[in-house]
Amino acid sequence: MLYFERGLIKSFVSSKNLTMPEQENHKGDRFRRMIETIDVANLLTEPLTNSINNLLVSSAADLTSREASVLVRDGDRGDLRFLTAIGEVAEMLYGVRVPAGKGIAGFVFSSGQPMAVADVGEESSFYAEIDKKTGYSTQTILATPLRHSGEIIGVLEYVNRTGMPPFEPFSPEEMDKAAFYGEAIASLVNAYESAKVLRELGDEVLSGDQKEGLIELREWLGNLRDSAEHREMMDLAILLREIAGRGKPEREMCRGVLEAILGFSDSKSETSFLG
Amino acid sequence: MSAVDETAFYSTMSGSFKPGEWRSASGKGVTVAIIDSGIDVRHPDLMSKVMESVEARIENKKVVFDPSNTGDSAGHGTACAGIVSKIAPEASFASIKVLGAGGLGDGQAFLAGLEYAIKKRYRLINLSLGTTKPQFFAPLHDLLDRAYQAGCIVVAAANNLPQPSFPSVFSSSLISVVKSDRSDPFNFGFHYGEVIELTAPGVNVRTAWLNGGYRNLTGNSFACPHIVGIIALLLERYPNLTPFQVKSALYAIARENQENALEPPPFPNK
Repeated sequence: MLYFERGLIKSFVSSKNLTMPEQENHKGDRFRRMIETIDVANLLTEPLTNSINNLLVSSAADLTSREASVLVRDGDRGDLRFLTAIGEVAEMLYGVRVPAGKGIAGFVFSSGQPMAVADVGEESSFYAEIDKKTGYSTQTILATPLRHSGEIIGVLEYVNRTGMPPFEPFSPEEMDKAAFYGEAIASLVNAYESAKVLRELGDEVLSGDQKEGLIELREWLGNLRDSAEHREMMDLAILLREIAGRGKPEREMCRGVLEAILGFSDSKSETSFLG
Repeated sequence: MSAVDETAFYSTMSGSFKPGEWRSASGKGVTVAIIDSGIDVRHPDLMSKVMESVEARIENKKVVFDPSNTGDSAGHGTACAGIVSKIAPEASFASIKVLGAGGLGDGQAFLAGLEYAIKKRYRLINLSLGTTKPQFFAPLHDLLDRAYQAGCIVVAAANNLPQPSFPSVFSSSLISVVKSDRSDPFNFGFHYGEVIELTAPGVNVRTAWLNGGYRNLTGNSFACPHIVGIIALLLERYPNLTPFQVKSALYAIARENQENALEPPPFPNK
């Protein structure tokens, strides 16, 4: 539901769109709606990191894997970085970058082909570097691509097994399971990454840069966020998030009510995030 | 399939053929194009066997290929070549490196690699890659038709994912392979009517890896080169086989395997 094209967002916030809202009402309206969307996206997707981690924990338990991690695309050249991880060296992996095509994760990302390697420990290249950094010993690994709308957005990895080495290699059945977990995790990762892009672009606009005209723009944004209408919208988003977390009957009832309201008011609503 | 049936199949081809004779071939005179992450040309199993190494790069928004001396960036291409080499030890290779080069999208890269291999008229092409991007469906279909018309035999790995991937779901103009947990490369399966028709070993396959090493690998990627190896043997004996005849030969051999086997035919291990 929160899938945004990065290019679209960037062009939306590109300098030509940052002209003074007062001078160009149409662009100002579009920009205001985007800011509303950013704030709503942040509110709705905040719990996503927890959800990704929860899914990692339960999938790793299902695959009797000791460590699991999610790597995501970093830039346009095919590099990857660790978004999140569970296991004893998880903290050390956050933010570590994997150059394009390097190692098993790099290959899986660029080829789209899942694979399992039973004896990574013998490798003297990429995983040895990571292991040296973390003090960990990667021995067996299963990596599967994360796809959203046909696009590869990252890699899901399971490393080693619970218990003592030597570890059993990952089986074809576990490869299938990982692919299904990967589908669910990919949706969450995409929502998280989309929200992050929006948040960073919003932050970029609101802080730091002292380009001419931005001071006035920041003032305008401040006023927008202080307005009663904007606060009401955020309250509504929080309420929606609350209902979405309750259960299927609540969600279905909520959807029915919202669709009825939309049908009733037709195009009168100025919100942009429900359609 | 009995020997009589196999003879009947071979009789559809011109020349004089002996059923099963291809099994003693070594792939001599056959060049296999590996579209992948490169090949480690210094690996003991592959030394002096790589006849051409090229690498993709982008120039003016187009993919161009330059001679490459960067080897294998991930180990995967070396692994695939190693599997082919184990079955067809005298086959040679062309390494078309499309993975690991920064700035190349997954589909764009391997489409360009495939086009390069077809233009160079490589008879046998190993494509252990795939894409689920719908925008590549039509261009891949066109390319594979061109390959078929040019007599290039393209063998592609299925993916293990819930979504269909291209080109492995195209049945007519290429040979698609999914892994089984068998270990004998000659005991492959053919499931006529399935989207992915061929099954070959792809679970814990011991093969060449980076830095002269070896790994045990699992994935459809590694089933694909097993079939490529078998085809290399067939092409040594019958160099004029068309892609259609190769597929028919694989079907005949798999039927023979199934009739001779004590255990049931290998089923796809998706």
